[in-house]
Amino acid sequence: MAFGGAQVLSDVSISVPSGGVTGLIGPNGAGKTTLFNVVSGLLAPKSGRIAIDGHDVTNAGPASRARRGLARTYQRLELFTSLTVRDNIRVAGEIRNTWGRRGRIDVGAETDRTVELMGLGDVAEREVSELPTARARVVEVARALMTQPKVLLLDEPASGQTEQETESFGKLLRQIVDERDLAICLVEHDVGLVMGACELIYVLDYGEIIATGPPKQIKSDPVVVDAYLGTP
Amino acid sequence: MHLFLVYTILGLVTGSVYGIAASGLVLTYTTSGIFNFAQGAMAMLAAFTYWQFRFGWNWPAPLALFVVIVVLAPLVGAILYGGIMRGLRETAEVTKIVVTIGIMLGLIALAQWIWNPVAPRTDQLFFGENAKFQIFGVYVTDHEAIALGCGVLIAVGIRLLFTSTRTGVAMRAVVDSPTLLQLNGGRPERLAAFSWALGAALAALAGILITPISGGTLDVHVLTLLVLDSIAAAMFGRLRSIWWTFGGALFLGLASTYILGYFPATWSWASDFRIALPMIVLFVVLLVLPHERLRGATLLRTRERFAVPTVRSAVTWGLILLVVVLALEQIMGSADMGTLTVGITYAIIALSLTLLTGYAGEINLAPVSFGAIATIIVFHLGLSGTGSSQRITLWGIVVGIAVTAVVGGLIALPALRLRGLYLALATLAFGVFVSDMIIADISPHILPIFHVHFSIFPNGALQVPPPKVGPVDLNSAKTFLTVSTVIFVLVGVGLIALRRSNYGRRLTAMKDSPAAAATLGQNLVKLKLSVFMLSAAIAGLGGILLSAESGSVNADTFIIFVSLALVMLTVVGGIGNVAGALMGGVLAGAAFQALTSTFQNLSVDHGGGGFWSVMANLSLVAPALIGVSLGRSPSGAVPDIVASYRPLWQVKWVLALGVAAELVAYLLVLTNVMGNWWLVLATAAIAIVTPAIGRAVRPDAFRTRPTVVTELPHALGQRGRRTRTMEGVPAVESVADARS
Repeated sequence: MAFGGAQVLSDVSISVPSGGVTGLIGPNGAGKTTLFNVVSGLLAPKSGRIAIDGHDVTNAGPASRARRGLARTYQRLELFTSLTVRDNIRVAGEIRNTWGRRGRIDVGAETDRTVELMGLGDVAEREVSELPTARARVVEVARALMTQPKVLLLDEPASGQTEQETESFGKLLRQIVDERDLAICLVEHDVGLVMGACELIYVLDYGEIIATGPPKQIKSDPVVVDAYLGTP
Repeated sequence: MHLFLVYTILGLVTGSVYGIAASGLVLTYTTSGIFNFAQGAMAMLAAFTYWQFRFGWNWPAPLALFVVIVVLAPLVGAILYGGIMRGLRETAEVTKIVVTIGIMLGLIALAQWIWNPVAPRTDQLFFGENAKFQIFGVYVTDHEAIALGCGVLIAVGIRLLFTSTRTGVAMRAVVDSPTLLQLNGGRPERLAAFSWALGAALAALAGILITPISGGTLDVHVLTLLVLDSIAAAMFGRLRSIWWTFGGALFLGLASTYILGYFPATWSWASDFRIALPMIVLFVVLLVLPHERLRGATLLRTRERFAVPTVRSAVTWGLILLVVVLALEQIMGSADMGTLTVGITYAIIALSLTLLTGYAGEINLAPVSFGAIATIIVFHLGLSGTGSSQRITLWGIVVGIAVTAVVGGLIALPALRLRGLYLALATLAFGVFVSDMIIADISPHILPIFHVHFSIFPNGALQVPPPKVGPVDLNSAKTFLTVSTVIFVLVGVGLIALRRSNYGRRLTAMKDSPAAAATLGQNLVKLKLSVFMLSAAIAGLGGILLSAESGSVNADTFIIFVSLALVMLTVVGGIGNVAGALMGGVLAGAAFQALTSTFQNLSVDHGGGGFWSVMANLSLVAPALIGVSLGRSPSGAVPDIVASYRPLWQVKWVLALGVAAELVAYLLVLTNVMGNWWLVLATAAIAIVTPAIGRAVRPDAFRTRPTVVTELPHALGQRGRRTRTMEGVPAVESVADARS
């Protein structure tokens, strides 16, 4: 998967390979969420190209990109507030089943599995608006997984979680990637999670990629330390 | 050439008045985020008040103008904002719309109360007919010159206000971020109140200027609609640009006079077309407005909350309703049954709103107009037999509903790309168009290709017979009421089942966060189109029944104000609940009418006027007052009522006692021991006393506060501050941001 530049972003070229977690970090306002909005089709780039699995989707709407296998979560929660946790997850599967006869899923069974996988069993029948933010973010991830995506964009999924929760969330991400052979792109401020879960990290600042590499290299990159990480 | 000049000047004058009214709309919308549907009614009321001062009491014109435009109108505007509009933050678009509609209906009722509509009143031109001068050989009255001058002054004035004064710049800042403005020392509330005062003054000016130009007759509905036409002009400016707004207004004014002047006299529909033109233009402008960005949940988060019952409990309540209606049939006269049937058929139309607005979050302001379309189709294609044995056939009903669904799909076209308010305006345009062009098509003309005489609404009144399907003949009042109730229950239970199906969940997803639904792969266009068609079909079914029950329908049956009142009362009842539709429908179709006529009869019995006449007028204003109070409880009355009776389940014997008392009262009426009115009183008493006893016996059960309307969740408090930004204004970082 690759994409080119938009106005807040210039010359950003990123590819997120299957079967791995790719990190995207950078200071606030660097353009991470904008990049997600461009990729998922909510914003149109002035120039550049976006492709999913080799198919060019630059001119496609958000729904047809989803059908190509793209799913995302939102930093500022976008849950369906009139529905329960289970129905939030379930409706994503039901939407998937409107895509066509091929690849239909058993929504009931898949919902149960996802609820269990994400550890949401205790709150499944609650209204989403009653959930604390950290758990609501997990519901967003669960909902995105229901469409059986090939590419999953996670926008700060772990913010608000305790250290312990973050650690197990990192393991969960690895487990999902290994089981489902999908590509995850992770935007996160929790440096520990990013460093632990990702194979490859892009650092974005002022709409430009200032560094690329595996966690170890990023950690010691002087440019990144200066722009984002700071000296310990 | 001379004629062309005459039409041009007349068009410019009309356009400039449209521009004045439209600029008031733009002003209030940009600073408060509320689209003022009452603008036309404010203009109407101002025209009446001016007439009262100037011609009723013979005040000098400058004094009358000063008092109306500079004192009263701004005062009313500021009071409306401070008293009502301020409380509408964080409510859904439909609530905001309905509140200003409530004000519109209230002002109309008020005007009819103060100025008896039967007595004719005419307004005269400033300085009279003879004050005129010549320009290029064309006579221009001083009044027209003043109207033009006012238009130019106001266009330039507002432009200057926005660009070169501190207040104006702050007013534009309110739109972008009220919180930020507040932090910088601005006062968004005061600015919004100021803009409402100014908007009201502009409405008043427009109303006073246009009345003599358009003939001088003061008519409540005509005047209100005339200024409502200025919405089309405001839409040219996309509710922002004053220049474009005035440009659009001049275009409208010129187009309508050129149609008057140059369309052949043989085109019998030309004059209808001229009247309908602003609404047609409004629809077209909405169609070509650029695509909007998808909005996320942050901008849509509202205070409204609706619980969905299970299908089983829906069936139970449906059966209870049916039993109640069957019991009432035993004691009601056929006239009363007719009134109740009208209420139930309105409730079926209201169900179309439950689906569209309550479940899918889209808005339709003209549900009864869809009923009109279905009625017209049935009248032309679905009748069999003659005279008193004439009936509506099943085939007629099916075709009527199908055509209405297709029309609904067409009207939804702007909705596919635009959000709530614009769709509301598109449906409003449709509703007024139906009245102005379709129902107004009363005289026969020759169809071009088929060469047959044809009119859509022959002679201005359609005689609609009752339906007959198989062995079920709805020609008796009792059967009609029973069948209507059964249909209401079936559609209502069907809707609840639909809401609980995957289709219903997808609708809810679209309502709560269009952005998230789209990025999960939901085709929003398809979903919106389907729900709009389904909703129109339900409105069509209700409309056919309404017309058949009424027997004879005319332009007044389908006037836009009927739709608006129904929408308002349904929202008051609870737009997300089937029971809310029942309440809204019965209130709109039966209750207020019954109340008003009761009071009027009492007034006549007591020699006219006096207390009962006041009560009758009050009951005409009452629906609007209820509508206006929505800001306080935007989820509607039904959830509140349910919450106040729910604890009774824990004290079952008290509940049983209440039911038993009601049964005894009913039996007493059935056996003619007491009259029907006593049953109404007894029911009211039981409804009040039963929960009171329950509370006395088990205070703990009642201690829990009503939970249906939940507080904004603390978990989202982090974003709670953000949600206080105004509706339609993208908050920083939100999904919908950043296209520059």
